[in-house]
Amino acid sequence: MMNSTNRPGMNEMVNELKARFNVEEVTFVQDHEAHVDLHRKDLHEALTYMKQNGFRQLSAVTCIDWPNEKIFQLIFNIYDWSKGNRFIFRVKIDREEAMFTTITNIYGGAKYYEREVHEFFGVVFEGNDSALKQLFLEQWDDLPPLRKDFDSRAYSDRKYVKREYKTSFGEKGGEPFERN
Amino acid sequence: MKEIKLFLGPQHPGMHGNASVHMYVEGDIINKSRLVPGMLHRGFEKSMENRTWMNNIGLIPRVCVVEPDINEMCFAQGAEILNEVLVPEKAHYIRMLILELARISIHLMSLGGIGGPTGLYTAMYWAQADRDLLLDIFEAITGHRVYHMYIVPGGVRKDLPEGIEKLIIKTLDGIESRLPEYEDLIFNNPTMQSRMVGEIMLPAEVVWDLGVTGIGMRSATGEAYDLRKVNPYARYDQVEFDVPVATYSDAYTRMKLKMLEVYQSIRIIRQVLDGMPEGKPNVKISRGSALKWTVKEGQIYSAVESSRGEFGYYMVSDGGTSPYRVAVRGASYPQGLLGIEKYMPGTRIDDAPLWFDTMGICSPEIDR
Amino acid sequence: MAKKANIKKDKVKKIVIDKSKSIIDAPSGMFSDKINEPFAHEMIVSKDRSENLTPKQRKRKWKSMANYFSANSLWMLMYCTGCCAIELPQAMTSRYDMERLGMGPMATPRQADILLITGYLSLKTLRRLIYTYEQMSEPKYVVGFGPCTLNGGIYHDSHAVINQLDQYVPIDLYIAGCMPKPEAVMNGFQDLIDLIEVGEATGWKDYHARYEWYKQNQKEALGEVMIHDEFHE
Repeated sequence: MMNSTNRPGMNEMVNELKARFNVEEVTFVQDHEAHVDLHRKDLHEALTYMKQNGFRQLSAVTCIDWPNEKIFQLIFNIYDWSKGNRFIFRVKIDREEAMFTTITNIYGGAKYYEREVHEFFGVVFEGNDSALKQLFLEQWDDLPPLRKDFDSRAYSDRKYVKREYKTSFGEKGGEPFERN
Repeated sequence: MKEIKLFLGPQHPGMHGNASVHMYVEGDIINKSRLVPGMLHRGFEKSMENRTWMNNIGLIPRVCVVEPDINEMCFAQGAEILNEVLVPEKAHYIRMLILELARISIHLMSLGGIGGPTGLYTAMYWAQADRDLLLDIFEAITGHRVYHMYIVPGGVRKDLPEGIEKLIIKTLDGIESRLPEYEDLIFNNPTMQSRMVGEIMLPAEVVWDLGVTGIGMRSATGEAYDLRKVNPYARYDQVEFDVPVATYSDAYTRMKLKMLEVYQSIRIIRQVLDGMPEGKPNVKISRGSALKWTVKEGQIYSAVESSRGEFGYYMVSDGGTSPYRVAVRGASYPQGLLGIEKYMPGTRIDDAPLWFDTMGICSPEIDR
Repeated sequence: MAKKANIKKDKVKKIVIDKSKSIIDAPSGMFSDKINEPFAHEMIVSKDRSENLTPKQRKRKWKSMANYFSANSLWMLMYCTGCCAIELPQAMTSRYDMERLGMGPMATPRQADILLITGYLSLKTLRRLIYTYEQMSEPKYVVGFGPCTLNGGIYHDSHAVINQLDQYVPIDLYIAGCMPKPEAVMNGFQDLIDLIEVGEATGWKDYHARYEWYKQNQKEALGEVMIHDEFHE
């Protein structure tokens, strides 16, 4: 992890962001990739600013579940093809009331990414009504599957018939393999 | 005329992969259309959290069936940068060799795949036969034909077998000598021209609106927006190659660019084989047994240029033996979902499979 | 020329055609327990050979004949459910050339004989697969590719993928490998042809016999088998 980079345009952009918005932390992961932790209220303005300054592509919107801190971290991944710089904005939202305002009016391509985040994490995006419908799953009947408290193995064991073998293949006499 | 509803796929001869397009049609013009994904949803991102870093190597090639190596590259690259490991020079070169062979193989598959929606089955037979020769090379190097599990964090699994250069050069010479025939068959063929020229346009505004990358983007904007050039990974900054571009993106141009990229990939592979350094092909990225590797805490977006565009993994590690979260950015996600919703209406029904082929839509990577 | 023709005429065995007796009725239940229609009224067999057969033998003869024909003209449905489908183009085209086994791709399930289940099945695919399977006309055969159809394979703990396919549709043959190489695929098809010829590929009969059991399993995994209108606006 680096604290600064020599790549043209990166440090200037970070300084601009720090001056304009409520930036909590900036990390340079690679010399063309900066991770910026923002306050959730500033995200839309920051994205608009970035889009006006060459970051025309939204690469992805995704989410990370941190059950111990009781937050979801939303990841907005934008890229400037002409300079080759990447900024990743991270905002924290409450896990119990997972709500955020849509960014589809800034980046139209976010429509299906938001829908996917809703489906897999249960985050509601206000203003993106289509995001409330199921996309990948069909007639899903449990917690959103990518949350950390959803156990996919237990779900699979419960729902799908397993083939029975006489020999046990797992460690510790057939117990599920445990991480250390 | 009455508007009727039509389900195209998942069981359909011209369709690429197990996905379905639901559409409302009037005559043969599409009024509204939606991709119905999820038929290949396996819950990869969840399964990866339940496996160790090394176990995941066996899982991730399956994210994109036709081009598995980019997945390995993304994953390996991400783990290395997080752990601050420098990969030996030889590993970089072998990785480039594998990635470019894979690029040729998928472009051949795509050139042959044009046979499905247009009825030119000769192309399919030729391209599959040539692709099979590449799969033989993969089998000789890695031991597998399709899923190689060869690029691992820290390098590549093992060194190249002796004398493989001869086989590669021979095969590539053969393929290169046949490429003009493909050109005659597909691109100089009046029937194919009337089917593809001016069809399924992708203007530059649409590219930016959707977030399309790869060939779709380069064929519309005329800029060399290729991650191998813009943010070189492996040792792409040490080899010479051109990125074919265009400013008029129809089905014909996009297919043509795929064809031109095959020439460039062959050029890269020749340079890689000439400049192959000596040394070890891998290092350990962490101490101890491979099943108990740990990766330092951190987050990273590791991206590579696939045949369809920017393909990336957003990887989060909490310092444990498994990834905390891995989010896959499929290269065909924008054009596959939003593109079909917004820009397929107005085209004809028989353009839908052609849309799939020329836009390079890979349904397993959309569904994951 | 004339001489030659005469010789030939003498050598031809005289076939007595007695329409009232020589037409052999196809045994009932040959294709399905419900269909009692004779297989082919037009087929004429010489009287002297058919007289010696008991009805049981006659039935067996008819069955073996039908099996022979269906084994040598197999149409496989163009439906790729998972990864293993990527080796099928190789098996179909120049190098391995599936057509030498009398197999070819077919676009519609109504005219297809084999359903290839190429790999893992998510619930969404399984629902459509059951539709496809039930649309196919009998006799129909199912081939499962790879370990995913057998026990879930690498996706055994996934929330979206079923583990054991033979709970939902009957399987006649499994092909091993992840993914099976074209050689394995061709070998598997050869085995399937052998199975059909000796009349042991009877999955479709099992689907009739244990229909309730299959439906019960399908409902347990899928909730309901219906496919709803999915135009997700």
